[in-house]
Amino acid sequence: MHASAKLFLLTALVAAPNALLAQGNPDWLVDTLYGSGKINTVIAVVAVILLGLAFWLYRLDRRIARMENHHRP
Amino acid sequence: MKHWWWKFLAVALVLAASITALRTPLAPAIVHVEPATLQPGTRHAIEVLGYRTQFVPNEVIAYIENGGQFVPAGRVDVIDDTHARIHMYVPEGLREDMSDLLVTAPGAGTMRLFDAFYNPVKGSGATHDIAAEMTVHHRKGFAFPNRNLLYETIRNLNFHVPMWFTMMMLQTVSLVFSILVLRSGAELHDRGAVAAVHASLLFAMMGLVTGSIWARATWGGWWTTDAKLNGAAVTVLIYLAYLVLRGSVTDRAKRARLAAIYNVFAYVLMLLFIMALPRMTASLHPGSGGNPAFSQYDLDSSLRPVFYAAVLGWMGIGAWLLNLRYRLARLEILQEDARIR
Repeated sequence: MHASAKLFLLTALVAAPNALLAQGNPDWLVDTLYGSGKINTVIAVVAVILLGLAFWLYRLDRRIARMENHHRP
Repeated sequence: MKHWWWKFLAVALVLAASITALRTPLAPAIVHVEPATLQPGTRHAIEVLGYRTQFVPNEVIAYIENGGQFVPAGRVDVIDDTHARIHMYVPEGLREDMSDLLVTAPGAGTMRLFDAFYNPVKGSGATHDIAAEMTVHHRKGFAFPNRNLLYETIRNLNFHVPMWFTMMMLQTVSLVFSILVLRSGAELHDRGAVAAVHASLLFAMMGLVTGSIWARATWGGWWTTDAKLNGAAVTVLIYLAYLVLRGSVTDRAKRARLAAIYNVFAYVLMLLFIMALPRMTASLHPGSGGNPAFSQYDLDSSLRPVFYAAVLGWMGIGAWLLNLRYRLARLEILQEDARIR
């Protein structure tokens, strides 16, 4: 993938949720996510779990790369 | 497909549980009262703030509960859907420090704000101006319990707790591998035990960090010197020591046996520090020190199905991570053996 394509994808990923939110919140979103306090705590918790899984993938990736290097002539 | 079904099932369970955990609305509740201190023997006008309530004039019933005694409201003025003013006479002689507020409103059932009021003057029980009994109405529809202090963070139950269940499952798998090592001495089993400990530590770290964030929002500190919290931290250290111990021995056969013996002890200590000790001491953490884990919050069992799905799903994800590492370890052994030859 070209660098410009990557940049476009990243921008789209970051911008898309904001664009959706700007169109007015559906009721369930108001009720569940913004209704009362401390929802950011839940968001942080979910983020930590996703980052943890990403860290695991990174470690696995490194291990596989090490094996591949052994096999390289 | 034969080897894939459980991985798909795990992802589906985690997805379904996570979406439900985030989307389910919180139940209607009383979230604020003013004033929060009662003066026994006087009339009160108490302002209440509801969350997702629909107060209707003449259909809101309010009581204060103190030590099993119910004090009925004289009149409830409804201001709008979420604001009302409760007029009541608070009799002298209430026995407990704290009183709960019970408000019954259309569609919301009976909402209880725990420890809503502080009662500075205690007695041996009120003798007049109390109700003989009170009817509790149950709410219909699927919603999570809305508890003061917790509020939205009750959703974290479905993220934080499954991490620990998965950790314990992986450590149990590791124990089984270690017992197999002690019986057979096979290196592959040793590698399996290590892979399981590695995966369990990932979940333990995610459990610690998510718990810390949750503690900050509800208890006010990132860490408290609580038996459950410190027990969990010590468990992580014990399993880190397993990795250090195993890494310090170079002889492959000796390393496998030594690590296996330590792992058996580590498992027993884990059970002691996470399951046994916290139940015997005072603790803020639910599920320890006599605190109920579920029953206190989940009166209508709306959390349970979501929670169980999340636990099963995350255990499946944990098993998948272990499965990948185990297969990789098997290839590594083959590679090392090939190089030696």
